Amino acid sequence: MATPNIPAKRIKREEYRRNVQAQQESTDGSVIKMPQKKFFRQRAHANPFSDHRLEYPLSPAHMDWSSHYPAFVDPDASKTNLSGGRKLTKEVEVVDIGCGFGGLLVGLAPLMPDTLMVGMEIRISVLEYLSSRIHALRSQQQRLKNKAANPSSSEPKDASAQPESTESTSAPVPANDDEIGTEKLFPGNFENITAIRSNTMKFLPNFFGHRQLSKIFICFPDPHFKARKHKARIVSESLNSEYAFVLRPGGLLYTITDVEEYHHWVLRHFLHGEQPEGGAPPAASSKDLFERVSEEELAADPCVRVMKYETEESKKVTRNKGNKYVAVFRRKADPEWPA
Amino acid sequence: MAGLQHPFSCLRYVNRQSADQSDILIATAGRNLYSYDASSGQRLDVWPQPVDANVEDKSSDAAPTSENQGPPEKRRKLSSTSDEQKDAKSESKPKDSNKEASNSWTNIPLVTVAHGKYVVIMTSEDKCVRVLSLDNEGKLKQLSARTMPKKLSALTLTPDENNILAGDKFGDVYTFPLIPSGEYVKVQTPAKPYEPSATNLTVHTKRNLESLEQQMRQAALSKTSQAERVALNFEHQVIIGHVSLLTDLISVTRPADSTVGKRNYILTADRDEHIRISRGVPQAHVIEQFCFGHTSFVSSLCVPSFEPKVLISGGGDNYLLVWDWLKNQILQKVELPGAEGESTVRGIWDVSLAPTADNTDPVKAIFVALEGSSQLLYYTLESDNTITHQDTLQLSGNVLDVVGIDPRGSILVAVDTLREPNSTSAWKSSSQPPLETFRLSSGKWTPAEDPMVTKINSEGTSSIPTTLEQKQQKELNDSMYSLGNLRKRDEPYDD
Repeated sequence: MATPNIPAKRIKREEYRRNVQAQQESTDGSVIKMPQKKFFRQRAHANPFSDHRLEYPLSPAHMDWSSHYPAFVDPDASKTNLSGGRKLTKEVEVVDIGCGFGGLLVGLAPLMPDTLMVGMEIRISVLEYLSSRIHALRSQQQRLKNKAANPSSSEPKDASAQPESTESTSAPVPANDDEIGTEKLFPGNFENITAIRSNTMKFLPNFFGHRQLSKIFICFPDPHFKARKHKARIVSESLNSEYAFVLRPGGLLYTITDVEEYHHWVLRHFLHGEQPEGGAPPAASSKDLFERVSEEELAADPCVRVMKYETEESKKVTRNKGNKYVAVFRRKADPEWPA
Repeated sequence: MAGLQHPFSCLRYVNRQSADQSDILIATAGRNLYSYDASSGQRLDVWPQPVDANVEDKSSDAAPTSENQGPPEKRRKLSSTSDEQKDAKSESKPKDSNKEASNSWTNIPLVTVAHGKYVVIMTSEDKCVRVLSLDNEGKLKQLSARTMPKKLSALTLTPDENNILAGDKFGDVYTFPLIPSGEYVKVQTPAKPYEPSATNLTVHTKRNLESLEQQMRQAALSKTSQAERVALNFEHQVIIGHVSLLTDLISVTRPADSTVGKRNYILTADRDEHIRISRGVPQAHVIEQFCFGHTSFVSSLCVPSFEPKVLISGGGDNYLLVWDWLKNQILQKVELPGAEGESTVRGIWDVSLAPTADNTDPVKAIFVALEGSSQLLYYTLESDNTITHQDTLQLSGNVLDVVGIDPRGSILVAVDTLREPNSTSAWKSSSQPPLETFRLSSGKWTPAEDPMVTKINSEGTSSIPTTLEQKQQKELNDSMYSLGNLRKRDEPYDD
């Protein structure tokens, strides 16, 4: 591509992202500004069948989580995983598949401050935003903690880190998601969330072992409207076998979509349909491994509220007065082996 | 033997139960399936029947006649058969006589034998799984033809040999009965008028709204239902799915031990380095394990019949892995000859021979061939479930398939008759015999004499014209040596 023809927007974008990167890498202890979404927008679709240039561990035992959850690294340095990384004091057990800009993770983090959660996203720019956001959130929380401990000394440091944006931090209520976490301390200080670039349709089992997870979230998945593209949907009977593999019995798989047809697709792929009276029992399939969670139970589940109202997509749907369809499934125990 | 001839791409040895029947060797070469009497080497049948002058058949117009036994269709270019392929598809009725068989394939890459009397094959271009009966005289007769939605990369049977397991290039594994049970009635869903699943509640941008409007108009115009999803017109079930190209599929039975009873498993491998262990049918949706350790695509899986706890796998990385597969535990990593990123395992074969006068111990042999290599690596499985390299056999051409013949204490190797040894593209000027045989004596496999092999080699297979164009040669090369395409290329740009 010829250099003179790069659009101004892209130049600005790249410069911004370079700055964010540089700020993150600086170790002078200055507080990191929250990144802005507008510099990280990316087309909402990615081809799950292409190779991309993904990095993924050889196996779950090779996955090095230590850089993702520094606050949870096991103090015993002799405990390492198969790739030589430090082990954590606990395992990751919640996954947001297709986490996008990370609204769900940021919403869930204070609800379950001691549970490690990871968002997986295939789009590189979006992932970059979320990683910067989590980094900045942790840094902002650190600033607030310092401030609480020592109200006078941390202020000048903060001012030096954010010379030209004093007006935005002084706003009493954050107007948008980019500002969540800059005003008050949250339980867990966002140390329990992280994001990874991955294609979960191919590589989910490379990250998580058998029955490692307690919750999987699939929020506003790419609907792939055309029938020809239905193979690329993130919910299918054969993929559900993989979700069942990584979910522990009793674990929950949450789905939400604004496309009614997709909702019915989800129900169809997780549950056996109505059987005709006296007809043959349905053929064995991954549907045997899940059961739907009742409405009453969902009403009491705070995760459903976060999923419905705090993710970026759900806010967009609310703005556009669209519908939201929720379905949650519980992993049943494996069937007995045939005799 | 003059001229060029198709090599055998698959060999299967059929043990016949009764004493008065001699065993049968099944082989595929080019677009043909052959059956041979395993004692004399006498050719018993060729399928599909070569077009005879005295058989009235219109297709003989399309097929140039040739003097030798070999059917001539392989001379055609793929492009020239595409019309016929379409015909075959649009008909897609089960063809139940040899004559009716369409001419729309050039090779038969997958073969398996059920109950010693059925041969299951996949013909390449028309993606058709065909079941043939193999009668006492070794005659082949097509019983059914079922067209798959995608080309298969693996074909095997459930342990009871009553159901076919077929893995395709889209990562799906299907199962369907060996013998279709009666007439299959397709579940008729009432024709629903097409309705876009997007609504103005879900799409918002100007362009998307416009196209939605257009779709609505279109739906109102055409009352007829939209083209239905590609549905298979025979009884089947999708039991496993990888979001990757499926490369191999095997069905394994673990015998009962002190804690659990006999259990069936399905092992599948894909281009994304995965080996997946699922339960056998009907619980194939339960994944029991993944075996992680390969860093390139996996192309071959082998669970030796003499040690079902062990799996030997190979692919695009230059090592084999020996596994305790139910535990995802690597027992051994075996380096292969060849540089990293170049060698590809074409096949892993287990051969067991009962003790003979020559060899007092039962033989537990593992043979490994690399893609486009004329060497056959010989390993033995040790009592600690590791394998030891014993010898490397040198063949006159690239190794294509290996089969053990226990009663003779020998192995039969199909070699590439067309290409120079260790090349996947340089053609010879004249063919060599397509089969070689080795017998084990005092721990060494040495070339052996076998009247069956001599007879088969003297008859040869079907000829290829010496004046093939480069393009046709390339097509033949690509269909014979396609594993290299599985390697991931480093894409320069990615978003």
